[in-house]
Amino acid sequence: MTPIYMDYAATTPTDQRVVEAMLPCFGDIFGNPSSLHGFGQDARAAIEEARAKIASFIGAKPAEVVFTSGGTESDNFAIKGVAWANHKKGDHIITSAIEHHAVLESCRFLEKEGFKVTCLPVDSDGLVDPAEVAKAITDRTVLISIMHANNEIGTIEPIAEIGRIAKERKVYFHTDAVQTFGHLPFTVDELNVDLLSASAHKLCGPKGVGLLYIREGTRIVPFMHGGEQESGRRASTQNVPGIVGFGKAVELAAATLAEEAARLTAFRDRFIKGIFERLGGIRLNGHPTRRLPNNINLSVESIEGEGMVLSLDMLGIACSTGSACSSSSLEPSHCLLAIGLPHEFSHGSLRFSLGRYTRESDIDAVLEALPQVVGRLRAMSPLYEGKKPA
Amino acid sequence: MKKVAVAMSGGVDSAVAALLLQQSGHETVGVTMCLGVTPAEGGRAKCCGAREIEDAGSVCRALGIRHYVVDFAADLEAKVIEPFVAEYLRGRTPNPCVACNRWLKFGSLLSKALAWGFDGLATGHYAAIESGVGGYLLKRPKDRRKDQTYFLHAIPRETLAKVLFPLAGYTKDEVRGIAERAGLPVFDKRESQDVCFMPAEGHGAFLRSRGAGIEPGEIVNLEGRVLGRHEGIACYTIGQRGGLRVSSPAPLYVLAIDATRNRLVVGGKTDLRAGGLVAGEVNRLVDAFPEEARAKIRYAHRAARCRISEERDGRLTVRFAEPQEAVAPGQSVVLYDGETVLGGGTIQEVL
Repeated sequence: MTPIYMDYAATTPTDQRVVEAMLPCFGDIFGNPSSLHGFGQDARAAIEEARAKIASFIGAKPAEVVFTSGGTESDNFAIKGVAWANHKKGDHIITSAIEHHAVLESCRFLEKEGFKVTCLPVDSDGLVDPAEVAKAITDRTVLISIMHANNEIGTIEPIAEIGRIAKERKVYFHTDAVQTFGHLPFTVDELNVDLLSASAHKLCGPKGVGLLYIREGTRIVPFMHGGEQESGRRASTQNVPGIVGFGKAVELAAATLAEEAARLTAFRDRFIKGIFERLGGIRLNGHPTRRLPNNINLSVESIEGEGMVLSLDMLGIACSTGSACSSSSLEPSHCLLAIGLPHEFSHGSLRFSLGRYTRESDIDAVLEALPQVVGRLRAMSPLYEGKKPA
Repeated sequence: MKKVAVAMSGGVDSAVAALLLQQSGHETVGVTMCLGVTPAEGGRAKCCGAREIEDAGSVCRALGIRHYVVDFAADLEAKVIEPFVAEYLRGRTPNPCVACNRWLKFGSLLSKALAWGFDGLATGHYAAIESGVGGYLLKRPKDRRKDQTYFLHAIPRETLAKVLFPLAGYTKDEVRGIAERAGLPVFDKRESQDVCFMPAEGHGAFLRSRGAGIEPGEIVNLEGRVLGRHEGIACYTIGQRGGLRVSSPAPLYVLAIDATRNRLVVGGKTDLRAGGLVAGEVNRLVDAFPEEARAKIRYAHRAARCRISEERDGRLTVRFAEPQEAVAPGQSVVLYDGETVLGGGTIQEVL
């Protein structure tokens, strides 16, 4: 069987057209974009072309797009940069319990620096309540950071509404759009955001490059020091091949965005319907309709996620689980805990995320394999007469 | 067996076990049990800590095989650590490695490996499995000094059909040589002899850290005369010499641990000898035990000739041909007939 990749939310294969667009940057266009000579100017032209393309894709001005090393850096930059730049005005940050660690850990870091953080709960579908955001705002609030869509359970947050509230109350609003950028249609004005993080490798672009959209006039301190690159906001010689690849990836995603979203939504719903027909004792995590077109997050009762991921991997099917063992004990992810998953479901979560190269036959193959894997794991009884370990 | 999961601890033995399997044409995948056991900062490398998991991963990368890390922390707690603590508090000397083999490696790990789609499980134990007339037999390995069959006696007999011990025919030196020639990153790694979850300060400190009630009490001799005070019975082992802080003309040994009266009974070396024992939790690796065999009552013990009788309640009475020293309840008695491991049980009474 050809391997089936269903972990697009973790990363995506780089589109060959992106690779081809990047190749000249390993050849003729090798210059340092900051250099005065022709080599430098060629490289600068290449990244500015990418910047213009990407800016127009989200309805931003090119100068509002700062290239970074990826989503994690963009989140760190946004949160620490805005917090520090506005420290005289206030010391309060609002975020949610299901944010990516890049946001949560940045907030935690700032807490140690004396900031106060309100971490809003979510409902059982993973939705943040805009009214709760409004209630949490004080005259000391400098930043709100709520993700556009959750990477694990796929729930799409009411960002435009929260953004409207933030705008009214004159509080900066950041959204982590790593899972939606290039997958859902939006402009920064529609979302009412001041800052937005995105990453190239989630849309068939290369790894190691991302962006932070910073609305003109936003007070933010630079994240890296030591150069005038990116208008002095992010020192370091730009990742020219990465940025060019990012530009191409956005161009490709933009060209088919609506059709691709519709195609994946149909696959997603076929998957969900099919698996509920074939398997009992499961639940869908995340909002049933307000969810990413490519996200299926299931919990299987009384089975550990890692055993299912391992068994599926042995069959050539790649997916992920929200509870994996690193070096300490197995804990459900903060996101699964935040939606209040019942105990018997909390260790058995599986995330399938679809993408550009997913075919209908892949969905059918997984619908065939998953019930068998679950059946085997459910039937598993220790080979000895003893009880199953608690 | 086609697809084999190799239990990879991060050490040289399991690394070579995986290599040998791979060379013999098995589809080999490394699996490391994550036990939630992390040594203290700067502490010695132990089985299954974060660094060991990393090492297992680098061995698998060197071999070009897949590697999975799977959580077994809850199993370790429920099946090994909790009984370990309870046994010590009952005045016994438990053997957690026997429990881990029985309940984890050849229990839940094996069952899971089969459910995941593997045909069997291999480990880097020094032991052998041979197929005999009536089924599979557990045998002693080529390397007598490393023989780990003592720790394997409690594994269910039916698991033998699903288990491979690729190191059966190799000595430790040979294994290191194979690892070095193959360029495996762990070839010169020092061996861990300790119980993986045990801190360097020993089991007394471990039991205290788990909130176990450890009360000081009396040290008495065989006549019942009080000779001194002990720190808590769980801190002592039968046969232990010294550490008693009792002055005596001849060396004193811990003869017995009386949990009900929280007392240690001490005496001379000759009083340590026992003529036999009664064992429970009996596991048979053959159809029936012979009347005569050899018994090992701790890992480092030289198997002693004995007579075996099976009691109505399923327990075993083992009578030694020559009295043996330091028979400790909680430890395993393992029965051998030549090369064959017959099975064994947990020592419950000293006769």
